[in-house]
Amino acid sequence: MELSRRSFLDAFGVREAASLSAAFVAARGREAAVAEAAAVEAAGDPAEIRISSNENPLGPGPAAMEAFTRAFQDAGRYPTNARPSMGDLREAIARRLSVRAENVALGAGSWELLRSAVRLYTSSSRHLVTASPSFESPEQMAQQLGIPVRRVPVDKEGRLDLEGMARAARWAGLVFFCNPNNPTGGVHSARAVAEFVGRVRRESPETAILIDEAYHDYVTDPGYATSLPLALEHRDVFITRTLSKAYGMAGLRVGYAVGQARTIEAFNRWAITFNQNSLAVAAAVASLGDPAHIDAERARNAEVRRFTTAFFQDRGLRVLPSETNFVLVEIGRPAKDFREACAKQKVMVGRDFPPLEKTHARVSLGTMDEMKRATQVFGAVLGK
Amino acid sequence: MPFTRRAFVRTLGIGGASLLAARREAWAGLGEGPGAAAAPRPLLLHNNENPLGPGQAALDALRAVMGAGAPAGRYVFGRVDELHAAIAERFGARPENVVTGCGSTQILRAAVQMLTSPTRPLVAGELTYEECAGYAELIGTPVRAIPLDAALKLDLNAMADAAKGAGVVFLNNPNNPTANLHSGDAVGAFVDRVLTASPDTTVLIDEAYHDYVTDPSYRSQVPAALKNPRVIVARTFSKAHGMAGMRVGYALGHPDTIAKLEAWESANALNVAGIVVAIASIRDQARLEAERDRNTRARQFTLDWLAKAGFTATASQTNFVFANIKRPCKDFRDACRAQGVIVARDFPPFEKSHVRISIGTLEEMKQAADVFGKILGVKAKAA
Repeated sequence: MELSRRSFLDAFGVREAASLSAAFVAARGREAAVAEAAAVEAAGDPAEIRISSNENPLGPGPAAMEAFTRAFQDAGRYPTNARPSMGDLREAIARRLSVRAENVALGAGSWELLRSAVRLYTSSSRHLVTASPSFESPEQMAQQLGIPVRRVPVDKEGRLDLEGMARAARWAGLVFFCNPNNPTGGVHSARAVAEFVGRVRRESPETAILIDEAYHDYVTDPGYATSLPLALEHRDVFITRTLSKAYGMAGLRVGYAVGQARTIEAFNRWAITFNQNSLAVAAAVASLGDPAHIDAERARNAEVRRFTTAFFQDRGLRVLPSETNFVLVEIGRPAKDFREACAKQKVMVGRDFPPLEKTHARVSLGTMDEMKRATQVFGAVLGK
Repeated sequence: MPFTRRAFVRTLGIGGASLLAARREAWAGLGEGPGAAAAPRPLLLHNNENPLGPGQAALDALRAVMGAGAPAGRYVFGRVDELHAAIAERFGARPENVVTGCGSTQILRAAVQMLTSPTRPLVAGELTYEECAGYAELIGTPVRAIPLDAALKLDLNAMADAAKGAGVVFLNNPNNPTANLHSGDAVGAFVDRVLTASPDTTVLIDEAYHDYVTDPSYRSQVPAALKNPRVIVARTFSKAHGMAGMRVGYALGHPDTIAKLEAWESANALNVAGIVVAIASIRDQARLEAERDRNTRARQFTLDWLAKAGFTATASQTNFVFANIKRPCKDFRDACRAQGVIVARDFPPFEKSHVRISIGTLEEMKQAADVFGKILGVKAKAA
């Protein structure tokens, strides 16, 4: 059998992954580390379903895995010397988005880029604006650097409050705009985002805007579109993306930012030296050249999302509208209680997301088979 | 068959086969077959890489783990703990003594970030690994650059004199790009002197080339780092472990210091393949020793060749040499490149006379020496 075909077959098979080594299970990790120590300690049980970190349960696609195995021969070379190189990855991303390489900054996951953005644009007198709840990395970095943070609560539908965030943006250093928003799952339309960006640029021209599109590839709402054109149009407006979600490469650490060349240049200056590993570079380049795989993953996830959403709704529980690979469910009780009860049944769900931690739980979407088993546990735990 | 797999099978046009068995086989091809490295390329003697890459045990470990499922799609945190435990075990330390990052560079940066400021300078050799000084510049920390001594070694006395009031003194031992080192006694005395004279200064020692050292006077400062909150030792898997492409570095220190470095979350930048290979590699001491011996032979060949050809080089204890070729590095480098050999960039203030050449395999160094001989006008007899 050809190497490519063998690698290819490896790309799926989460079900077989259920019979795995403890080492593998131990690796099914966390998205934000802190709150899930208990879950990781519990790892090691092959029957466990980990739907806690918004990972793609299938891992990278076949093209990516084949490239990964081939690239191992260059593992001793710095990622600038390996083939493909970090430069090739930048080019591949640029090609995929029809921009130039100078518009693309690489990160060790978008995590690095979110943190760099806080460093680049905020200070003790220029605050960070974020939603509450939203992805925590920018806020955590701001706290570490002693930078003030303005948190703008999401609306009742869990969507970012555009009016409130625009007002909070005056004199801010940076607005973190997660679209779709993690952990609430909803999106704003291309038009709404454009109006928001236009308003902030008018009212607070020195404020940078980071539009995090980590879940871009999972969106099915036709009103949504990437904010890439806004990033190219405005200085200090930029998008971030990650290959940790639909591309299934959370363990490989590839993210990127796109914006005007002068905006991106600063990210590259601050980047971790050699922030890509050469195996991931090869996998990412191959994956970016295989859009059909992402289309298939989006369709797979959308079907699981419909199933999971319907499960909760049929039992009278509100699910915030999700365009991602997770759902935030109003379970009407503390997430911690729900999480611990599920964990006893070997189903690991998301951490607390204040200020919604007393009422809402975030459930990532596994495979359909995993969700069928997980929903049985949810039904038992919730008494529904 | 679960939905997801059916969907994939439909989409991608494969059906039926025993997927489980097939997947186990899939990773047997890892590191074999026509990979990128098989294609012709110039001799890469410019980045101090291990030309052989990771060892067999590392490869086996990666095959086993990746072949067991799809961990590439999962965040790595649980596995980071395993890596910290493996590193700690190697040094007879505890996981609380260990911090990891995307190469040691990320940890060096975190240390400079944490311990220096506009009023607490960085002290570093004028010619040393630039990561710390480069980052200091970025964050507005002044750098006290201390020229090398006459033997092109880091001037420990001058560095200790300059340490008063500094946030960090950076000591690369062996030093890149000069390839030479200071003895364990000399470094130990230097550390004591700095700590005594400047109670708020941290000594950051980068031992990236530790595994290539053969000089018996050398000693790692890891024991000092484990005891003293103001000493940090950084190491990397990029050199003798052959993992430059996999991006794993670490530092050892007192738990109080390590906890502060941990707050910068550098382990978030680690990748699963790097972690798996690093764990296997740090447990494979025999391979490290074999790599040291291989490098020592190729290094000695290169140093002997230079000496016979009439060129002096520093006493290299690394996987590169720093040689006085009596002409601008750029001219030599361009000529080498034209003949398919890549040597390192300029290292001011020695760019008019010195070149850094990384050590490849013995076979590669023989090929390279032929090229160097032609360019430097060395008569075949002399060489």
